[in-house]
Amino acid sequence: MGNRPIKFRVLELFLDGKEYWNYEIVSKIQAEYNMNSAYGRDSINFDIIELASGGMLKDIEQKVDEKGIYKKDFLLHKYVITDFGKIRGSDACMRYA
Amino acid sequence: MDLTALKKQESKRKISKGYMWAFFCAVFWGIWYLPGSVVWVLNPFDEMSAAIAKTSGDGVSLVVTAVLITAFNALTVMLALMLWNGTLGKFGELKRTLKEFHPCSKWFFLASIFGGPMAILGSFIAMGFIGGAFAAVAGLLYPVIGSILAYYWYGEKISKRAAMGIAVIVLGGISIYGGGLLTELSSGNVPWIGYLGGLMAAVGWGTEGAIAGKGLDIAEPDAGLTLRFLGENIIWWIIIVPILALVGFPMYSFALQAFEPLTLLVLIFAGITFGFCYVTWYKSFPLIGVGRGQGIGNLYGFLAVIFIFLFNGTVPSWTILVGGLLCITGSFIMFTEDTSALETLRGE
Repeated sequence: MGNRPIKFRVLELFLDGKEYWNYEIVSKIQAEYNMNSAYGRDSINFDIIELASGGMLKDIEQKVDEKGIYKKDFLLHKYVITDFGKIRGSDACMRYA
Repeated sequence: MDLTALKKQESKRKISKGYMWAFFCAVFWGIWYLPGSVVWVLNPFDEMSAAIAKTSGDGVSLVVTAVLITAFNALTVMLALMLWNGTLGKFGELKRTLKEFHPCSKWFFLASIFGGPMAILGSFIAMGFIGGAFAAVAGLLYPVIGSILAYYWYGEKISKRAAMGIAVIVLGGISIYGGGLLTELSSGNVPWIGYLGGLMAAVGWGTEGAIAGKGLDIAEPDAGLTLRFLGENIIWWIIIVPILALVGFPMYSFALQAFEPLTLLVLIFAGITFGFCYVTWYKSFPLIGVGRGQGIGNLYGFLAVIFIFLFNGTVPSWTILVGGLLCITGSFIMFTEDTSALETLRGE
């Protein structure tokens, strides 16, 4: 069971600098925080959207979810952490230097 | 469906939802001034201010009464937010966020100092001394404080356009304050404390916004806002109300009398409207950007004047109306500046 606020954990996952699709992050968090309902999934995804709108993540690629990996016929988004996200993460909420 | 059509659909959905949240915020915020002004004439608050006025004078009695009203407002907001978090299943997240005191929740507690004893107390004082419409419109000056603070604190640049918006808002402020002041100066009876309350609302909310943003960016707003009100409840119920009681004001005897059906109902109404105006405000930001969210949220000043007219039948003086209009125009000039937010939301 995850013990840090969800957005911290999301930023932490992105801190390796790699690009991730939203469904990869969402399913990881769902497992860690035991949030397996559709509602849990959507609320984690909204956290990612909030981080992106706050300028900490950048939406770099989209594709149509044809197979229903996440939500069939919806858009999938790929994100990467921004410099601001790294700074923000380290000065406020992360145990990261 | 192809990628571009889906992108369009997604951005349309986001934007309409974002505008909806922002508009709800304006409605809730505007309505709040109704219970906020009405509560002053209800038991026990009217008796309280009368009783304290006998021994300590009108000014002190209204401020002390405003403290008790604000404390109850914080309590009912907290109840509304706890219910909200419970419904959303966010108690777990609330606990996790609370535990991150050093990096995160300290910002919420700091924000609550400016939000509570300054902004909300100031609003109640302005409502009590001058009236709901003045209190609502005076609060519209907060973006000026917020951006000046951001300039000195994070070195955020103030663009030409933002400066223009600020100038228009300041003109509005002069109209709001100046109009009433001129007539009152000639009659020799100026409710200074009320004007100070209006100023406290603007400075408090501007500062709160700048501080709270530091924590809310990286927390879930539902959890973060609840912690901000937890902080405010601690300030009122554990620090200020006991101190006032020790000094000799009858805080507890009047507080216990607040548990009357009508008073309680009005207080709960205030808590629900105020709590949800904060929640919806933050929900709108990721969808339409902070600028638009705040710009539309600021329509609250206009809505408050309308609601007060509809329910109480009072029309504010024209200087307040003109001032409010200028403030809202100014906030739109300031906030619609950054169009890139909407573009990134479109993901193009």
